[in-house]
Amino acid sequence: MSNKPLSLEEQLKVNDLTVRFYTYEGIVKAVEKASLKIRKGETLGIVGETGSGKSVTALTILALTPSPGRVEDGNILFRKRDSSVIDILRMNEHQLLQIRGKEISMIFQEPNAALDPVCKVGEQITEAILAHRLREMVEKSIEVIKKEKDNEYDLWTRLETWTYKEMLNNPSDVRLKIIQKIPIIRDITKRRLRQVIRQEIVELLKLMEIPDPGRVIDAYPHELSGGMQQRIVIAIALACSPLLLIADEPTTNLDVTVQAQILDLINRLKEKFGSSIIYITHDMGVVAEISDRVAVMYAGSVVEVAPVKELFRNPLHPYTKGLLESIPRPGSPLKSIPGTVPNLVDPPSGCRFHPRCAYMMNKCKEIMPRLVKVSEDHYVACLLYEGESDD
Amino acid sequence: MSSNLRTYIARRLILLVPTLIGMTVLVFAITQLFDPIERAALYITEPRQARFVKEIIAKYGLDRPVYIQYFNWITQVIQGNLGWSQSLHMKVLDALVTRFPATAELAIYSTPLIILFGIYLGKLSAIKRNTVIDHASRVVAIIGWSLPSFWLGIVLLAIFYGGMGVFPPGRLSEWAEALVRSGEFKLYTGLYTIDALINLNFSVFLDAIYHLVLPVITLTTINVALIMRVMRSSMLEQLNKMYITAARARGLDEKTVIDRHATRNALIPVITLSGLLAAGMLSGVVITETVFEFKGVGYFAAHAATQLDIPAVLGFALFAGILFILANLIVDILYAYIDPRIRLG
Repeated sequence: MSNKPLSLEEQLKVNDLTVRFYTYEGIVKAVEKASLKIRKGETLGIVGETGSGKSVTALTILALTPSPGRVEDGNILFRKRDSSVIDILRMNEHQLLQIRGKEISMIFQEPNAALDPVCKVGEQITEAILAHRLREMVEKSIEVIKKEKDNEYDLWTRLETWTYKEMLNNPSDVRLKIIQKIPIIRDITKRRLRQVIRQEIVELLKLMEIPDPGRVIDAYPHELSGGMQQRIVIAIALACSPLLLIADEPTTNLDVTVQAQILDLINRLKEKFGSSIIYITHDMGVVAEISDRVAVMYAGSVVEVAPVKELFRNPLHPYTKGLLESIPRPGSPLKSIPGTVPNLVDPPSGCRFHPRCAYMMNKCKEIMPRLVKVSEDHYVACLLYEGESDD
Repeated sequence: MSSNLRTYIARRLILLVPTLIGMTVLVFAITQLFDPIERAALYITEPRQARFVKEIIAKYGLDRPVYIQYFNWITQVIQGNLGWSQSLHMKVLDALVTRFPATAELAIYSTPLIILFGIYLGKLSAIKRNTVIDHASRVVAIIGWSLPSFWLGIVLLAIFYGGMGVFPPGRLSEWAEALVRSGEFKLYTGLYTIDALINLNFSVFLDAIYHLVLPVITLTTINVALIMRVMRSSMLEQLNKMYITAARARGLDEKTVIDRHATRNALIPVITLSGLLAAGMLSGVVITETVFEFKGVGYFAAHAATQLDIPAVLGFALFAGILFILANLIVDILYAYIDPRIRLG
């Protein structure tokens, strides 16, 4: 499976990703040969318990592996807007700045923690827009000036227009830099740009179904409810219409009604923006509702991938079966998978699920199963199914 | 939003009154450790009054119940009468007023340096965590922190003044001192550097700076670690937060992430410390003032304490208390300015 090129309809492919954390307690083998792919415009759900490596995988896709984690192996192929394919793990910091937020962006589990508490939400959205859409905004500003002033060119208008044109054509001009250093002149020349960006944000917040966007822009994060904060985080993520949106348990910390609203919003925004989505959750109900395909992760590896209906109808991996059985149903007793998630400093040999597996065979302790194709679009990493396919 | 800030400041100002009363009660409580004759000195404002100690005890009721005594004493304090200093042979208030500029001049130059260096080094250390730069700046800061100020001061004086004949002790050279005392030079603040600028006399300004170099270096070297360590740990804490990852995830460059987000949040605990540091500096730095013959408030208080000059020590305690309360007030307001969450509290 390693180093397979990206086919045209694929947006992203993670091949044999291995991430380790070098801690005082030992080396945490957080992600072990995980492989995933996301097609253009589809929603891939990633499910798994806490500590299954979902979030680390997600952050690694943005090359933001949390410290002291290190990527040991694998590659992450991504198809950019211009159709060229890059390996995210081999980009330098400067190239990554052009990917993050613009091509791939992320929404987080705790909206309250994902927003800078001392920075107005409007400023935080502005940052995302300035980072990737400055040109577009400057062009819009020039348009606005043209429309407004028509033919009367006073000194200020000329200075303003000149500043914006320089920003477009020759951003390293010394005169421009001087102008941007003088407080009052800087403010006057930037005023229009600021208005244009503000208008853009208001539109964006309306899309997020935020009531009274004009007030929310000037609010600090703590002045908003959890649901509103998450809408802001989503607005930041979508500010530059990314090709891929990674949602890391975005509704886990919200009330159930708010959770439904946010899910609904993400579904509708996906249609509007046409982005692919990686939706990470441990909630099988949410997965059923939002995903096209589902990847199940256990102890750092992907153990099963299948279209959502197929997975619920015909789960193959013993862990997936256990997960589906442990969904609470009224009337029937609550089932759980025996045992606990292994300590990843010293994970079980072979298949990491074998100590908890009801179908354990002797070879499971020795051989780490690879993802194999069992039917169209249905992959499973379990020795029970090894040999059933020629892949 | 700004009306929020205004009510917050108003509330803080109202709280100032009970705090000040509490502080005076504490200072007054110290006076109760002494017998009435010693306490009578608090009310003596002229040397010749010393003959009437008994009358003063009777007049101010120093043998009467405590709350009446407190009331009498606080009335005097409010009127500006802090008593007579035997060791300085002048009114305590006058002593504080004349000595304060020297201390203030030291504080005005060293406090910003300490804060700026501390913040810069702490930030650098945190960003370059566990590198040579981090270890080196921490070691240097801790060495500075551990140096006794009298030792560092004397060594600096020995090397520069003793060895090379530059950076003499005192506040001004003799010629400048003479000029300042003559009528031509107007004293507005008592801070020579500032007065010299107002008088447009740059040679006096440079002379005052020349004398400030060594004491300011001493104070900065010794105190920089205080700010640096808090800044470093605060910065490390912020850099681990999710909003930093979120800021990086939206494609912000590292400089923006650190300057706009991490630093702003990391500064919050540093502000408290800086306020206390500034108050501590303004209330006098005994040893540095003594070593460099910078006769400021600290020098005066230490001198008074060794001579058991109770009114002077109490006056100093009141003065330092007021400074700390004001510093806390300013810190609280700055807090609210930098951290919007506080305004609601």
